Parts: sequence; C-alpha cells; structure tokens
Amino acid sequence: MDFSWLSDPFYQGYLWEGFINTLWLLAVSAVGGLILAVGVAMARLRGPRPLAWLAWAFTTVIRGTPLLVQLFFFYYGVGRLLEGLPGIRDSMFWPLLRDPFFFAALTFILSVGAYSGEVIRGAMQSVPRGELEAGRAFGLSGFQVLYRLWLPRAIQLCLPTLTGEMILLLKSVPLVSTIALMDLLQAANIIRDETFLVYEPLLLIAGIYLATTIVLTLVLRLVELNFPGMRPTRRRWLPIR
Amino acid sequence: MTSSPPPSSHSPTTTAPAVKADHLIKHFGDLEVLKGVSLEVPEGTVTSIIGASGSGKSTLLRCMNLLERPDQGELAIADETIRFTRNPQGDIIDLDRRQLQRLRAKVTMVFQQFNLWPHLSVLGNVIEAPMRVKGLSRKRATALGEHYLERVGMADRRDAYPGFLSGGQQQRVAIARALAMEPRLLLFDEPTSALDPERVNEVLGVIRGLADEGRTMLLVTHEMHFAREVSDQLVYLDQGRIAASGTPEDVFDDPRCRQFMAPAA
Ligand SMILES: Nc1ncnc2c1ncn2[C@@H]1O[C@H](COP(=O)(O)OP(=O)(O)O)[C@@H](O)[C@H]1O
Ligand SMILES: [Mg+2]
Repeated sequence: MDFSWLSDPFYQGYLWEGFINTLWLLAVSAVGGLILAVGVAMARLRGPRPLAWLAWAFTTVIRGTPLLVQLFFFYYGVGRLLEGLPGIRDSMFWPLLRDPFFFAALTFILSVGAYSGEVIRGAMQSVPRGELEAGRAFGLSGFQVLYRLWLPRAIQLCLPTLTGEMILLLKSVPLVSTIALMDLLQAANIIRDETFLVYEPLLLIAGIYLATTIVLTLVLRLVELNFPGMRPTRRRWLPIR
Repeated sequence: MTSSPPPSSHSPTTTAPAVKADHLIKHFGDLEVLKGVSLEVPEGTVTSIIGASGSGKSTLLRCMNLLERPDQGELAIADETIRFTRNPQGDIIDLDRRQLQRLRAKVTMVFQQFNLWPHLSVLGNVIEAPMRVKGLSRKRATALGEHYLERVGMADRRDAYPGFLSGGQQQRVAIARALAMEPRLLLFDEPTSALDPERVNEVLGVIRGLADEGRTMLLVTHEMHFAREVSDQLVYLDQGRIAASGTPEDVFDDPRCRQFMAPAA
C-alpha cells in the first residue's frame, strides 16, 4: 500500500473539492427535492385531475429510468439543446448552463422529488383521519389543517424512511463524475491516472463515504429523536437491540 | 382539580336553545341513518343520547357541528340558523364556509379516540384552535390553556406529548382542548368507550364537574348510570329515529327503552 501521494497538496486539493462538492450537492438536492416531494404528494392526493395525473406520470418516469441515464439526458441532451438557443450565451443563465453542478443538482432534485414524494404520499395517507377531522371540528381551515397537522404528522411518520433516502442519495453522488463534476470519485480517478495506483485512492474515498454515511445517519437520527412527539418506543440511539 | 369559573364565561340568561335541530335526515348512500330527528338542547343543560350501536348516535352528534352535512332539515346553533344551500327539491347541497368556521368555534367536540395531535405538546394541542381560529395571542391562549388544563387535572403535564400519556389522561387533555375554545355547546361522542375500565372514572369525574358547572353538553354514552345521573334530558335513538325522550326517569321507564336497557341493568 502506497499512500505517499496523500502529502501532495494538489491531490489534497482535488479530494477536498470533491468532498465539498459532494456535501453541497447532497444538501441542495435534499432541500430542493423534499420541497418538490411535498408538492408531488399533494398533487397526487388533492390536486385537480390533470395535476394529479401529471404528478403520477412524473413519478413513474423518474422512478422507472436509471439515474445515470437521466443525468446524461439533462447534461448532454437538454444542456446541449439549450446551448443552441440564439442569444443564450449572452443571458444571465449562461454560467449556470455551462456548470455540470447545475445539471447534477437538477437531476437529483427531480429524483428525490419522485422517490420521496411517494414516501410522503404514503405517510400522508396513513395519518389517522380522526386527527384531521379534529382539526376541522375546531374550525381550522383546510390550509391550516394541511400545514399545521397533516404535513408535520406525515413527516413524523416517514422520517426514518426519508433518512434512508438521504443516505442512498449520498451514494448516488459518484455518478456525477461522468459529467466532469469534481466529486470524490473524480478526484480518485485523477490520482489513479497520474500515480498509476488503483486501490489506494479508491480505498480512501470509500473510507470517506463510510465516515460521511455514519455521521449523516447519526445526525438524522438526532433529528428523528428530537422530532416533536416521537413515540417512546422509537427512542433508541442506534437501531441495534 | 379546581372548579373556579372560566375566565370569560358566557351569560347563562339567554333563553334560546344552544342547538335546535328540526327533522334532520341523513343518508350514507342508500342507507338512511337519520330519519327525521328533532332535538333541542336548552342552554345550561345536559342531554344524553343513548341507543344501540349503529342507531345513528354519532351521525346525529356530528351533524351538530356539521362534520356531517344533513341531507334535509333545519338546524340552528348558538342563535344562528345554518344557511344551507338547497337544490329545487329542498335537499341540502352546500354550506356557507365562513359561517361554518364561526360555528365550529362555538361548538367543540370530544372524540371517542381522543384525536389529539401527537406532534403537538399537551399545551400545544389546547392552544392551537384558540390561536388560529379565534386569533388569540399566544400569551392569552396559554393563560386560557393552563386554566383548563388545571381544570381537568393535567396542568403538570403541559409539556408532555400525547403519545406519552394514558388514555384517560389523553381524554382529559382533549376535554381541556374543547373547553379552551369557550364553546356554547360541548359535544362528547362516547368519551370513555376507548378507555381501560380503571380509567373511565377519571374522565367521567371531569364531565360530571362540567355538568355541575352548568355547561351545555350533548353526550353520546353507553354509561347508563352516568347518563341518568348527569342528564337533564335523555334521548333514546333507535334505527335513526327518536324512540323516547324526556327526563332520565321517563325514558328509563319507557317500555321500548327498557328492552334496550335490559342487558345493562
Ligand atoms: N361515513 C360513513 N359512510 C357510510 N356509512 C356510515 C358512515 N358513518 C356511519 N355510517 C353508517 O351509519 C350508521 C350509523 O352510524 P353511527 O352514527 O356511527 O352509529 P352509532 O354511533 O349509533 O353507533 C351505521 O350503519 C354506519 O355503518
Ligand atoms: Mg358511534
């Protein structure tokens, strides 16, 4: 095992940039994706017919096609198509449209929106009807019932599942190395090409992923445990008996 | 438990009934659940509805705050006649949403399954509607909430979450939640049916206290002794019709009701 390259500031720089990009992409996709997911769930449950239908089609297409294909579709397909538009190079969107990060984030947001949208929809359906009825019986408006009672309760119910989705999301990030975005895998590839070491860089980024996953799991577990009203039976630090 | 008067109780001198239902009819699909029920709950009195399971007790109660919309009939709640929209045949097809929201602030309900909001603390459950429906400040709602939690003996658990409470405690919080709206009429739908037997009395005790205070209440219950004890009026509902009504003594002596009561006696 040869880890001497680790002392090279260039390689340190790549790895650091890859790590930051990974976390940043994770955060943007999680926040944007969950907002979209709530919208998709709402549209499917309570939206007008055409919107409900659209949400279903969106979910089916995104969940029915590989993430890598979607990434290529947006980056090479849509991205290149937009490039061809007259005047786009002078517009304020141009820097965004040249940035692989933009397409990676877009793809991931849509993916989280579809997968977590289904999770949230299921959770919303499993909120006991009586709780929502109590809201109406006390004079809360439909919108108040939704944002004060229904959504918070649904999120409480599916928080462990959403946690799992976020961890899967983290491990989808290396896909973006295929569209020339500097992530951890891209950094490892560069190091491999220049040092002819195959295992060591891979081992290192695997270790970084594992450590990040563990930290992420613990942080999300902390969120779960501190979610208002979490049942006592679920209050265990590690899901180990 | 204290029995001090509520911070701002309404005047008991009004003579209009808290609720007056006239010939209510309600269908679920082809099933006629209420077949022309007329009922009046005078201000400051307690009315209990008894009857077999499936006789339409819950449906009748739920019409009183319009959780169910009757198909026909007239309804006046807290001095207001409900403005139903009717089709040319006279069937009720819609409600006035603004009036609905206003009325629901005046008629609150205690459910069989408590239906507390599990992601809100005990106090949070109690102040939610006063703040968001009546527009009270958090400070005022909290003072009100604490008062009524005290009233049901749950003040020391104000920061707990419903999932950590026993059924009896949850139902007492649910009663505080209904009281905190300072309603004209309190509805109870079998408030002790979901409780362990040893928890029933703590809830019945609270309800009895409210009856002694002169609160206007409409109560569906299977607790016959309790109903007889606290009620000014008893209504025996049988297959969607009022088969007997009057003072508890009258109804319990009614032969039609006797038969229903036999297993319980
Ligand atoms: N939402 C509903 N949809 C269809 N049928 C209902 C509904 N609610 C009640 N019913 C039916 O109406 C009848 C009366 O129900 P309910 O008022 O709950 O009776 P009770 O409270 O006296 O047991 C029952 O046959 C019940 O199955
Ligand atoms: Mg019932």
